[in-house]
Amino acid sequence: MESAPQDTLRVRTADNVALGFATAGLGSRLAAQLVDGLAVGVLLVVAFAAIAAVAASLTGPQAPVLTALLFAGAFTAIVIGYFLVFELVSGGRTPGKNVLGLRVMSIDGSAPDVTSIVIRNVVRVIDYAFGIGIVVAFFHPLSRRLGDLAAGTVVVRERSKLSLAAAAAPPPIILRTPDPGPGIDGIERLGAPEYNALRIYLSRSGLAPEQRQRLAGQITTRLLARLDLPPSAPERMWPPELFLERLYLQLDQRLR
Amino acid sequence: MSVDAFIAERQARWCELESMINRSRRGRLRTTSAADLERFGILFRHTSSDLAIARRDYPDASITEYLNQLCARAHPLLYRGSPVRLSTLPRTFVVEIPRRWRAAWPYMLASVGMLALGFLAGWLAVYLRPDLRASIVPASLFDQMARGQVSGGGLDYAPLAAFDIIQNNIRVALIAFAGGVLLGIPTGLALVANGWMLGSVAAAVNIGGYNLQFWSLIVPHGVIELSIIVIAGGTGLMLGDAVLRPGQLRRGDALSAAARRAVWLACGAALLLIVAGCLEAFVSPSGLPAAAKLAIGAGTGAGLYSWLLFSGRHPRAAARRGVGRAADAMMPVG
Repeated sequence: MESAPQDTLRVRTADNVALGFATAGLGSRLAAQLVDGLAVGVLLVVAFAAIAAVAASLTGPQAPVLTALLFAGAFTAIVIGYFLVFELVSGGRTPGKNVLGLRVMSIDGSAPDVTSIVIRNVVRVIDYAFGIGIVVAFFHPLSRRLGDLAAGTVVVRERSKLSLAAAAAPPPIILRTPDPGPGIDGIERLGAPEYNALRIYLSRSGLAPEQRQRLAGQITTRLLARLDLPPSAPERMWPPELFLERLYLQLDQRLR
Repeated sequence: MSVDAFIAERQARWCELESMINRSRRGRLRTTSAADLERFGILFRHTSSDLAIARRDYPDASITEYLNQLCARAHPLLYRGSPVRLSTLPRTFVVEIPRRWRAAWPYMLASVGMLALGFLAGWLAVYLRPDLRASIVPASLFDQMARGQVSGGGLDYAPLAAFDIIQNNIRVALIAFAGGVLLGIPTGLALVANGWMLGSVAAAVNIGGYNLQFWSLIVPHGVIELSIIVIAGGTGLMLGDAVLRPGQLRRGDALSAAARRAVWLACGAALLLIVAGCLEAFVSPSGLPAAAKLAIGAGTGAGLYSWLLFSGRHPRAAARRGVGRAADAMMPVG
């Protein structure tokens, strides 16, 4: 099972169910910046090469001015427009964020609107100055930069896709008996927590037999205490593994 | 209920929700039918209530994490702001921006004050410290003015100059707005620096006796340009004030609320810099008589401020636009 990420944004849905969003750390955000920076560089090179090719065919006294105008226009459009356009049209993912599996989201768990995207990209000029954005994101528990704070956005990780098949618990391994055996007294004292604990124990594969037995003994001692059986109860005579398997099968029937 | 029974009983709808999420593209659901959208909403609510149950009964099981992840992916697909339509753009300019500007009048005043402070300081510095005059105002400026030419290349290079000027001014305006997040300190510095520049040059020009030439070079574009710098500075001060005095809100929430109020005012103002930049490149250095240039400046000022002061006022503006009076009367003005 994947361990719970530390930097988690808690959002309550309209039905008051808490949702946890894993926020992107400074490292992955900087990596995304790097990829986007490379992409901007490539776009600039391509655009400048295209303009240079066109400019070579221009003649007349206005040609140098026009060429300079085209260069400046392409530069501004690419540098300013890149983040803004990609975050607007592709659901908060620039290509760099896409590679890293990141996405811009509103702090309330909704998709960011145009206003938020514009704010976070205008404030980008301040975040880039002297690396202020990096410092702020480093100290912020959700790794937000100033633009995120002003826009009410956060960058979340979305690529930890756990499939339903992987999430469903592995089946229990019943070694000794498929038979639930005679009814265990006091079983009504036990419920879902004990059942889940038993299930986790039984679904553990790869335990050495003696380890499995020792673990069974420990769990049995605790469960017997919880069942509050008399000292002469026959269940105390069963081997621990058999006891646990029978208890599991009986609880399974009760709880189903 | 055992975790297996829980999964077996409910997994069909999780799979259905997941397949709808997987078909989404660019953060949007790819469906147009109302039935599908309703189905998505229902599936999301069922799945999120399953998540609540799983949190209670199987807090450490993988299935809880799976459900959380499923709901986290579905939530932004379902909850989103209203999309921007081009049809709302006229209303933004006719109604929203002037109203926001009027509502933000204390910040606009403060912004003017800072600009004036810089102007005064620059003026006084040139007058009080003749020894520093050469380092404050470049001497070449006087030579240029004597030839009646201040902005360099002349009209041949006007398109490039216009582009350069527009780009530069828009950058200054956006920095003035964005600087609000640092308590408005960069904003204040930008305002004072711009005022200082204008004040020191104006004082030097006054001493040199080139007043008419100078102001006919500044005024045609300067009225809009300085107004926009004041507006952008005002929006930056709004942000800084929200951080410093958040009131009942947390500072971050106050900041983002102020930014949402201010951003379109700042961006709309920045767009007007295109007009100012074209005037600066084509009109200001042109051979028009000084009186005509001053008149153009006055005209742009009158246009700008009648828009800001009178556009979008209630109720005449509403009636003219054919908006129902009863509905509009419910809305607080400005």
